[in-house]
Amino acid sequence: MIKFEQVSKTYPGGFQALNQVNFHLRAGELAFLTGHSGAGKSTLLRLIALMERPTVGRVMINGHDLRKIKRGQIPYVRRDIGMIFQDHRLLMDKTVFDNVALPLLIEGYTHKEAAKRVSASLEKVGLGGKERHYPIMLSGGEQQRVGIARAIVNKPPLLLADEPTGNLDPKLSMDIMRLFESFNSVGISVLIASHDLGLIARMRYRTLTLKEGRMIDDGLAHHEADANQFGGGA
Amino acid sequence: MSLLFRSKKPEQGAKVAQITGVRRFIMFIVSNIQQAVGSLGELWRTPFASLMTIAVLGLSLTLPATLYVVVKNSQAIGAQWDNPAEITVFLDKQMSPQQVQTFARRVELMDAVASVQHISRDEALREFREYSGFGSAIDYLDSNPLPDVLIVTPVREYSASNRASQLQRELAGESGVTEAKLDQDWIERLHALIRLIEDALGALALLLCVAVVLIVGNTIRLGILNRRDEIRVMKLVGATDGYIQRPFLYTGAWYGIIGGLIAWCATFVLIWWIRAAVLRVTELYDSQFRLQGLSFNELLVLWAIAISLGLLGSWIAVRRHVAAIEPR
Repeated sequence: MIKFEQVSKTYPGGFQALNQVNFHLRAGELAFLTGHSGAGKSTLLRLIALMERPTVGRVMINGHDLRKIKRGQIPYVRRDIGMIFQDHRLLMDKTVFDNVALPLLIEGYTHKEAAKRVSASLEKVGLGGKERHYPIMLSGGEQQRVGIARAIVNKPPLLLADEPTGNLDPKLSMDIMRLFESFNSVGISVLIASHDLGLIARMRYRTLTLKEGRMIDDGLAHHEADANQFGGGA
Repeated sequence: MSLLFRSKKPEQGAKVAQITGVRRFIMFIVSNIQQAVGSLGELWRTPFASLMTIAVLGLSLTLPATLYVVVKNSQAIGAQWDNPAEITVFLDKQMSPQQVQTFARRVELMDAVASVQHISRDEALREFREYSGFGSAIDYLDSNPLPDVLIVTPVREYSASNRASQLQRELAGESGVTEAKLDQDWIERLHALIRLIEDALGALALLLCVAVVLIVGNTIRLGILNRRDEIRVMKLVGATDGYIQRPFLYTGAWYGIIGGLIAWCATFVLIWWIRAAVLRVTELYDSQFRLQGLSFNELLVLWAIAISLGLLGSWIAVRRHVAAIEPR
């Protein structure tokens, strides 16, 4: 699904965020991406969503080389990638419904169809019936789940999450992780960047580790064993 | 329109959402209408700021529109006096009324002359006293300083500029004639003056249009920057630049539509205002002239100009600024 080949990213000013990163996330896989702050987790996700371009190397999604994607095609790539952020990036002056429906309206769904999908999507994250609320009326965990509902509402084959549990207590964090697990169980590939090592350890999924821009562990060695044991993953 | 997952089905589960082309087109129209109405609503929510820009647009177009009306009317006056050229013949003051009569009749019999109008010295003085406002001052004069005047209208073939001046030279050569003036001179001067006003008007209109484009562009730019966060989120979930730009372009179009209406109203008021003054001037010139306002077609052109300026201003703003906002 996602393949990095010798990918480096140097920001203007000389800071090297990623250094010759290689890994391959297979379709239908759920994996964690971990490392300290500044290790390059966000940069890695941004390269997948084409918010940045690699300085050298090649990023592939579903066998397509992202270098060949022109600027005007980027929106269409992003429609296939659900993205979730720590600060959830909701539009505070719009209702929950308008927030979640945004990707559908952009893609050209009718209001009626969008309404159906939005309510299904909110139902899935446990916020059924909150369409008319404004994000400000919701708790932090609920806001995060609105962000997740927005990411999955157009059923993308790939989900990226950047510190989705950063602001949440352990109980809520676990709930969110279980949500991702459920999406993964219907075939969506999920890549979650998080530095919550305790949580990650409990989840027992493949874990990629970045340190100062290098991938020091692509998680395959441990994971193969786990995969055989549980029959999940790749 | 899935780009990465178009050809292949993902190996497992997750179905890629698909919409057909026809539906996509219908929804494109529908979303355009929604965005157009939405932009109008946006104007309604910030009435003061919008009205300022709209008023600038409308009033900036009022000045060229009014000047255009003035030029159009002066052209009409110029055309009225264009043909046939008249030759004014001033006669020697020493001539007796008898001699003047004979001379007038002789001129009338010339092949090139269609008609001759005689304005006697006394008549001229009376007219001058009446219209000039020097009435009492003229009473102090010992004698009438005005000569007899013949106004000679050439036949049609002689009214063209070169033939008429030939006739003028001929008349000037007659004995008893002090001066023969071809009245084309001042018509040419009038035309030159109108051309000058036209050129100045063109330059002024161009400057005002550029100003309108800049003002609309700047307003739209501020609108874009105000909604920077929203635009970032929209780009994150896959909105094209075109989709994000459209509401702003519609806003520019609305500026033009409403600004055009303001320009209409303001032009009407201005023309109504100067109509009284123009009437007084034309009365002095004893003319049947009526001030022509903007015709229906000209109103439409004015409206179209307003709308295109609004669109152009917003287009310049969105081109520069929407593309520059990238999600972080």
